[in-house]
Amino acid sequence: MASVEFRNLRKSFGAVEVIHGIDLQINEGEFLALVGPSGCGKSTLLRILAGLEEATSGDIVIDGQVVNTATPRQRNIAMVFQNYALYPHMTVAQNMSFNLRISRLSKAEIEKRVTDAAKLLELEPYLDRRPAHLSGGQRQRVAMGRAIVRNPAAYLFDEPLSNLDAKLRVQMRTEIKALHQKVGTTSIYVTHDQIEAMTLADRIAVLKDGHIEQVGTPIDLYRNPANKFVAGFIGSPSMNFIDCRVRRTTAGLQATLPGGNEIALPNGLDVRQDKEITIGLRPEDLRPGKVGSQISGKALFVEPTGAQTFVQFESDGIQMMAVIDGSEDVQAGQPFSVSLDFSRIHVFDKDTAKRLY
Amino acid sequence: MSKRYTIGSFLLEIVMIAVAAVFAFPIYILIVLAFKSEENWREAPLSVPLDPYLGNFSAGWSQAYLGDAIFSSALVVICSLLVLVAIGAPAAYFVARCKPRLGYGLYVFFLAGMILPFQLALIPLYQTMRDIQLLGSPASLVLFYAGLQMPFTIFLYAGFIRTIPRAYEEAAKIDGAGELLTFVAVVMPLLRPITGTVLILNGVFIWNDFLTPLLYLSGSDWATVPVAIFSFVDQYVTEWGTIFAALLIGVLPVLATFLVLQRSMIRGFASGVKG
Ligand SMILES: Nc1ncnc2c1ncn2[C@@H]1O[C@H](COP(=O)(O)OP(=O)(O)OP(=O)(O)O)[C@@H](O)[C@H]1O
Ligand SMILES: [Mg+2]
Repeated sequence: MASVEFRNLRKSFGAVEVIHGIDLQINEGEFLALVGPSGCGKSTLLRILAGLEEATSGDIVIDGQVVNTATPRQRNIAMVFQNYALYPHMTVAQNMSFNLRISRLSKAEIEKRVTDAAKLLELEPYLDRRPAHLSGGQRQRVAMGRAIVRNPAAYLFDEPLSNLDAKLRVQMRTEIKALHQKVGTTSIYVTHDQIEAMTLADRIAVLKDGHIEQVGTPIDLYRNPANKFVAGFIGSPSMNFIDCRVRRTTAGLQATLPGGNEIALPNGLDVRQDKEITIGLRPEDLRPGKVGSQISGKALFVEPTGAQTFVQFESDGIQMMAVIDGSEDVQAGQPFSVSLDFSRIHVFDKDTAKRLY
Repeated sequence: MSKRYTIGSFLLEIVMIAVAAVFAFPIYILIVLAFKSEENWREAPLSVPLDPYLGNFSAGWSQAYLGDAIFSSALVVICSLLVLVAIGAPAAYFVARCKPRLGYGLYVFFLAGMILPFQLALIPLYQTMRDIQLLGSPASLVLFYAGLQMPFTIFLYAGFIRTIPRAYEEAAKIDGAGELLTFVAVVMPLLRPITGTVLILNGVFIWNDFLTPLLYLSGSDWATVPVAIFSFVDQYVTEWGTIFAALLIGVLPVLATFLVLQRSMIRGFASGVKG
């Protein structure tokens, strides 16, 4: 177990720089999720940390030691690949024990660790099979097993669950969480799925185009996103954004929506008259009712999921999503109006996308 | 695409059968004559031998010294193949995995080695072999074949390695394997199918090559199968039954190895590079 740190890390492929100076500190025993759109450099970052790729400049620090030139073996980091990369010519047991055999552990010790891992991952019946004869979920668990039999400085996961069906994904997510709570090894977990990130991680780092946009606890990122990008990325369904203009009135700040509707803005906000802003409204903060500012329009699509109902509605040409209680009765094509609590409004600068409130 | 049986497909079939018959005819004669005694083949050279005569085989075996020849050929083939695989596979691994520009340069270099006609080098190499006193020894053949077939071997291996995802090698590195162990324990097993192809193609070529052993082994006691049969034909030019029997015996080891390797090759492909 170890702490991990990137210091002003840069990476170029040829003339193209894909990681633009990343500073990130991951504490010992912490579970950090790395999220961001496709191509933003998540895998590259993991590969640099594991020693599969060399950084162009900057430092990689493991447990206080700069390891820029260390081999993967010296770094002692376990990694679960997105496509698993199980050795096709080895059995499940051989796949899981390859590292242990290289490390020349005793036969008994290897046997014990493999059996323990197999028990945990419910792989015992398959230990003598080749990967080609396993289902996708079983292969995924072998890939996990290959990592957990070790005693690494850190675990790296590169979208380990993305090839699994929804049910298995939830089940494996729980198992990963349980595993981390049990062994407490520093983990970095790359995912597209922000629910995975929210549920698993102690902290989340949001990456975009090779920059870190924000690092924080899941709830912090959800409540106080640093900018419009993070606000849109964290939370599902994602935040509604409306461009509008600030109007100062005697009653306080108001935002004029494109269609003419007025919304009261939070008191703490400090902006000048006619400032162009983007307001962000979380779908779950839009409630049917008559308190506070109102947005009225027409329901376009209604998607009941049981406990909650997703309502896509339109108001003055702006489409928005609301998540309301499943017991509410909403019909597509019917008028639909929501009220919003103005303390829950997020306000972003329209030009810089930075958060204003 | 229409799967109907038309007059066109009928004509095509006729043509194909005719072509097959033309190709099969010499083999038919070879087999039929090998099983006929001398007076028998003078009477009816083309008929099917209903009462096969096996005397040709024992005569061919002893008169052509086939036992010794098969041993020499096997020795040369096995040693050459060992060298080819032991050097060709790692070399191709480097060619396929090094920086693209260097890899391309090396690839072209080896390709040139395949294109140049080796007959041009036969005589200068002969003189060199004589100078380093390898002439007349099977080692000269092993050296020659290893060099001659190396470009082709690297070409086959490098093409195959490019289709293997690097993820396996990266997983091995993460597991703590160094370059050598990664190659031996992870890459080499993944190369099983292409290794089968390399063994078969090179093995058959080396086994059947006639000119090189004739040249390099002349004047020694060593003789490979084609050379042994050739000198035997020289002496017994009229005994076709015996000659053909000897030829059949000479083909058998290749055929047997081919069938065995082919099965493991197919298994290699079927289990595939997935996981
Ligand atoms: N070997 C390479 N050569 C050139 N460019 C590369 C290489 N590997 C990655 N890149 C580029 O670097 C950028 C980041 O790639 P990376 O694989 O890290 O993205 P990612 O965040 O993992 O995306 P995804 O979520 O789709 O896996 C991409 O623009 C990609 O095209
Ligand atoms: Mg990736």
